Amino acid sequence: MTNSIGEIEDAACVFIIGSNTTACHPLIARRVYKAKEKGAKLIIADPRRIQLSRFADLSVTHRLGSDTALLNGMMHVILRNGWHDLGYIEKRTEGFDELSKTVEAYTPDRVEAITGVAAGDIERMAELYARNRPAAILYTMGITQHATGVDNVKSCANLAMLCGNVGVPSSGVNPLRGQNNVQGACDMGGLPNVLPGYQPVTDPNVIDTFSKAWGKALPNKIGMTIPEMITAIGDGRLKALYVIGENPKMSEPDRIHLDHALKKLDFLLAQDLFLSETAQVADVVFAASSVAEKDGTFTNTERRCLRINKAIEPIGNSLPDWEIICRLSTAMGYPMEYENPEAIFEEVRRLAPRLYGGMTYARLGIDGLMWPCPTIDHPGTPYVHKDAFARGKGKFHAIEYLAPVEGPDEEYPFFLTTGRMFCHYHTGTMTRVSPHLDAEQKRGYVDIHPSDAERIGVKNGDMLLISSRRGQIEAPARIRDNVNPGTLFAPMHFGGRPANVLTSSKAFDPIVKIPEFKVSAVKVEKLVEG
Amino acid sequence: MEYKIIPSVCSYCGTGCGVLFKVMNGRLVGTLPNKTHPVNEGGLCIKGWNLHEYVNSFLRLTSPLVKVKGRFHKATWDEAIQVAADHFTSIVEKYGPDSVGVLVSAKMTNEENFLAQKFARAVIGTNNVDHCARL
Amino acid sequence: MREQIRSWLESGEMDAFLGFKEVEGHPIPHLFSKANLAELEGLIVNAPRYPLETLVAEMLQSQPGMKLGVLGDETTRRALNVLSIWNQVSPESVRVIDPDQFAPEEKGARKVFRVSEPGPVKLERGIDNRLGVDAIQALDGDDRVRRWMYEFQKCIKCYGCRNICPVCFCKECSLEHQDLISTGTVLTEVPIFHLVRAVHMAGRCIDCGMCEQACPADIPLRLLYRKVNSIVMELFDYENGLSSDQPPLSVLGEKVVLELKPIH
Repeated sequence: MTNSIGEIEDAACVFIIGSNTTACHPLIARRVYKAKEKGAKLIIADPRRIQLSRFADLSVTHRLGSDTALLNGMMHVILRNGWHDLGYIEKRTEGFDELSKTVEAYTPDRVEAITGVAAGDIERMAELYARNRPAAILYTMGITQHATGVDNVKSCANLAMLCGNVGVPSSGVNPLRGQNNVQGACDMGGLPNVLPGYQPVTDPNVIDTFSKAWGKALPNKIGMTIPEMITAIGDGRLKALYVIGENPKMSEPDRIHLDHALKKLDFLLAQDLFLSETAQVADVVFAASSVAEKDGTFTNTERRCLRINKAIEPIGNSLPDWEIICRLSTAMGYPMEYENPEAIFEEVRRLAPRLYGGMTYARLGIDGLMWPCPTIDHPGTPYVHKDAFARGKGKFHAIEYLAPVEGPDEEYPFFLTTGRMFCHYHTGTMTRVSPHLDAEQKRGYVDIHPSDAERIGVKNGDMLLISSRRGQIEAPARIRDNVNPGTLFAPMHFGGRPANVLTSSKAFDPIVKIPEFKVSAVKVEKLVEG
Repeated sequence: MEYKIIPSVCSYCGTGCGVLFKVMNGRLVGTLPNKTHPVNEGGLCIKGWNLHEYVNSFLRLTSPLVKVKGRFHKATWDEAIQVAADHFTSIVEKYGPDSVGVLVSAKMTNEENFLAQKFARAVIGTNNVDHCARL
Repeated sequence: MREQIRSWLESGEMDAFLGFKEVEGHPIPHLFSKANLAELEGLIVNAPRYPLETLVAEMLQSQPGMKLGVLGDETTRRALNVLSIWNQVSPESVRVIDPDQFAPEEKGARKVFRVSEPGPVKLERGIDNRLGVDAIQALDGDDRVRRWMYEFQKCIKCYGCRNICPVCFCKECSLEHQDLISTGTVLTEVPIFHLVRAVHMAGRCIDCGMCEQACPADIPLRLLYRKVNSIVMELFDYENGLSSDQPPLSVLGEKVVLELKPIH
């Protein structure tokens, strides 16, 4: 997030696109309620009608994968009416001319044809967003899990900069991170192209610094992303995989393809709290300790680094992940010896000084600190890009709309979108074993619109067979008018009915390789009465 | 009687709500919201309120496992670590470091992620490091 | 007060004392005992309300005969009284220590957290959490229903209102009864979740306000339960937490002895 969670309360407009906030980030939704009650305008754009839609000043359900068109349409209206912030644009940004040229073609009528959102609503969205400042944009996987994921994010940034909504309190472009420490995993260099603190592996100075610090010549060639690794397993280039606290068998697209790939590995090592679907097919499984059994830090979605504290001893013979990694490294001839997680954090501070340099365990306390926090007397940074963007000038990217890779056709006439529900989490390894959460929802289901249900003769609870070009699943129907006619929704949490059998591994963003989970084409048949 | 309240952070979504773990005689018996936490100000969602339940699940792995002839066997840490180390070492020798991939985790701490990518880069010698940020 | 507690702990008159200590600037519940008397220096009394009564019940369930002190006030006493009526704690095991009964320099109003001015949209469409039962009764019926529905529709089904409640101890909770409340969906259409809970709080709620503080959606739950309590008071002249009898609403027989709620 460019801005902090608490700031949302004081926005004059909150624009939520592709985030079911009350279900997936409930304590951020709390700030949205508060903002709304303090008088903020609320705009929701989501392929489904979500709980927050009820409270919105304007709620639209745009066609799956049409986000860039919708955002370009809003910008078209803003420019036509002169609602953009020319002073901000001139002082702080570049690339405005190209952007305005591109969005000129996105008239409300044309955007209505692409998105299914009425031209009048597009006008109104633009007005609400542009004329109520500061305005905050919140989004999650509904924006990113597309073949055009990067374009979608850039379009959100375009809109924000156009109205001077970056580098100002209660504004910004705010991705709500789905996993507790996805921000930290990125910050720590858990990516194939950067070392800790987003320092590129291709920069000789960076490689030099880290090689010296770690006493080992480090590789300077960009590594493989997860989808690339899966392909490399298939063609025999990747022989061994070490999977820590992840369940790719459930979370990755096109599960059947992945199952075949994993079988081809010479060695699969899994490290987890549970014998997850992925751990079951591993050669060795390391038993890891949970959040309650160790010290350390998480960095939340607002870049706030927070300490966790050991409450109980590790369950059984499990070990904290850091201890396991130290032991494995040592056994492979590279001794890693740290007295405790704080000692590791001290190394993080030294090697990622721009973001974490000023943080110590003592300073973090309970409230934590938000990065960048470069020096020991730095108060942390609630919102970024205050006087200048990290790269100097904010760059507008002229983005053309591209249709999703797969759309409904005669054979597969339905759109399928996947997502989460309020009482479960990601692949379900943690929530499906939690009695109170399991009681709330025990099995997978598919949401279908009443008119579609009637057309194919389906009642609530009837078992459906959903097929895509990749595979098929069976799931009971939940008849709901929160999905549009022609669109189905399947939650991703349930091992018995894995929604990701249906999704495609071939459709992903060319730059960041994020799979297009949010759009697949499927067909629906009734199996048995429920 | 020992009853401790330990401040910590919820490990479900990226919001980072402050929780208090209730620990009675060494056992985690419940989760409360931290009422003065700057992120959640005393509220939690259904997942956060039940954070202790997955920690206490009877399905938790309590020992490393090594698969022999298709079946898992419990192993000591020394045994399991050695099996893994030997496999990695021989695969790196035979096919080079880029034949190994490491998936780090958005569920682990910063410190653990730091070590995991350090393991990939300094021990194995590859930048094949990724995690589920996209998922 | 510290000296008094110290002497009780030293003499064994009290096995442990549940209060608060400051951790990194946050008041955190803490159990003081003879083994860590020095920690009493860090005892603080200014803290938001936490369900210490629940912690007391859990400790007594684990170690029945132990003698506990707990930092509290009149509301704490009422909560413990309800727990005692329903057989969840034995009254002779717990002593409530109210800082207001000690020297004035140790006094200090409880810090109240999270009471913010309601915004204009909440005032227009919802319910001001600070209103009393009479004020809400005075509203036109349709308007009242609309306002309550606005508030209930914000529910994210966290169950926080029940989870934090010091007098919620049923082994089987009606909120988890599938015949009453469907699962797997956030029930924004029907206020059934909140009405079931409200009915269940009749004769039990001691008006501590923690449910409302825990509510991420700021639903005026305290007001809802106050209304229910006022009906019980009017019909039966029964005030929760002050009577030594069970409330006169029982359909299960003369006197109900509920099983202890199992600790997770």
